[in-house]
Amino acid sequence: MLFRRIYQFLIVYCLGLACLLGIKKVLTLSDYVIPGVPLILETAGRVSQGYLFDVFNTLSVTILGQVISIIMAFTVGILGRKSSWAGSFIKVMAYNIQAYPIVALAPIIFILLGDGFISRLLIASMICYFPLLLSVLGVMAAPVKDIEHFYIATGRMRWQLEVKIRAFENLSKLTTVIAGSATLAMAGTIVAEFIAANAGIGYSIRIALYQSDLAGILVALFIIGIVISIYQGMLETLGDQVKTKWFAPKGGELL
Amino acid sequence: MRLECDGLKYTYPGSEAAVIDNLCFSMTAPGFNAVFGPSGVGKTSLAKLLVSQANLPASRIFTSGLDRILYSYNQERLPGWSSTGKHLNKVCPPGKEALKKKLIDIFKLEPVLDARFSQLSMGQQNRMNLIRYLLQEFDLLILDESLANVDEALRETIILAIKAFFPEKMFLYISHNLMEVAKFCRDILVLSEPVKQKGSFMVKGRDYAHGYTLDKQAFDASMLEVMDAF
Repeated sequence: MLFRRIYQFLIVYCLGLACLLGIKKVLTLSDYVIPGVPLILETAGRVSQGYLFDVFNTLSVTILGQVISIIMAFTVGILGRKSSWAGSFIKVMAYNIQAYPIVALAPIIFILLGDGFISRLLIASMICYFPLLLSVLGVMAAPVKDIEHFYIATGRMRWQLEVKIRAFENLSKLTTVIAGSATLAMAGTIVAEFIAANAGIGYSIRIALYQSDLAGILVALFIIGIVISIYQGMLETLGDQVKTKWFAPKGGELL
Repeated sequence: MRLECDGLKYTYPGSEAAVIDNLCFSMTAPGFNAVFGPSGVGKTSLAKLLVSQANLPASRIFTSGLDRILYSYNQERLPGWSSTGKHLNKVCPPGKEALKKKLIDIFKLEPVLDARFSQLSMGQQNRMNLIRYLLQEFDLLILDESLANVDEALRETIILAIKAFFPEKMFLYISHNLMEVAKFCRDILVLSEPVKQKGSFMVKGRDYAHGYTLDKQAFDASMLEVMDAF
């Protein structure tokens, strides 16, 4: 799974790069507009190490933001799973806020909190929180009648058991959504860094942009892609391990 | 112990035709009773109404001595995170361990207690589900196709064991198996298709218990009576 993610990214990246080089060739553009392969390789050798640390910096904020989002989404999703007034209110609010481009709120956050770590973390969390919340709400609010019936009929149903049943029955969906939200959190962090932060790969991309250094940007995109592919692959592998451990009997096969 | 319906009517929201219309019947003693009829005549709807509306003030369902009504059906599943044996242990009330052991033996489920529910065959799944209901406290247990996909010989063994173990309880067995219903049930509520406008009938089954001798003539007569009503 991890390797599949990486080679899928490499295919997409190479296709994109080939398109750019094709445009350069057809329109006979200079290296200043679209750099050639030698310039890209030369830039990669020069900036790769620095960019790699920048991406790790961004990734650390992304992971922290994602963890906060997951905890919040599960807390609110579990609280809002009932079709009570509060549950309906949470669902309607989540749907409406999710429809709004959260990244547009970034300037307000930077004005209020300054351009430090907290602003980046907040934007990363907010961007992946609402899609996660909607998925968790969808899972937690949908009864698994064929399993829950017995517990309800015999008076054994507790909220913890209800959550466990629904999470177990939708484990694939939840792990996919969590892995997918990593991209959102990463995008949120990069955008935040691009707008006003003073660290991270988004900040480095902004500097490269102001210097019209497309080769630098291409190198940054490559490192971001590889790192996020590895991170997502690890999340998916972790999800698979949880599924295998929870679903299959000891020493047995996953059905 | 009494289960009675007097003019019960039910129409699903958004539907114009009543699925149950003016249903009247009475079952007055513990034992194995049945609801029989073709698909779509309202057997499951009736079962769900019995569970949800019995003893409600405006209900047309009257009961006495049936404080705890349970409804089990054949598509139920056990959670998949632990083995079926562990699950049975967890839902088995204290003091019923011996009964659980006997039922597992009669239902022939001993070899699959370490397996997860999804690893069982459909017949095994239904038997496993039924055991956990039989371990609970109940006065009336509705078995909606609860022995579907179980082979005929084992089904007979199970029904006879249930009758022997729970003589003080009332069972309402929903099945499409005419021979089984006529053989082992006492009161059979036969629901016919609405287009035939026959309504519902109560027919007496043979109510055979463990060690029975089949009276072929009487058994045929019971089956014919059910067929005629349906």
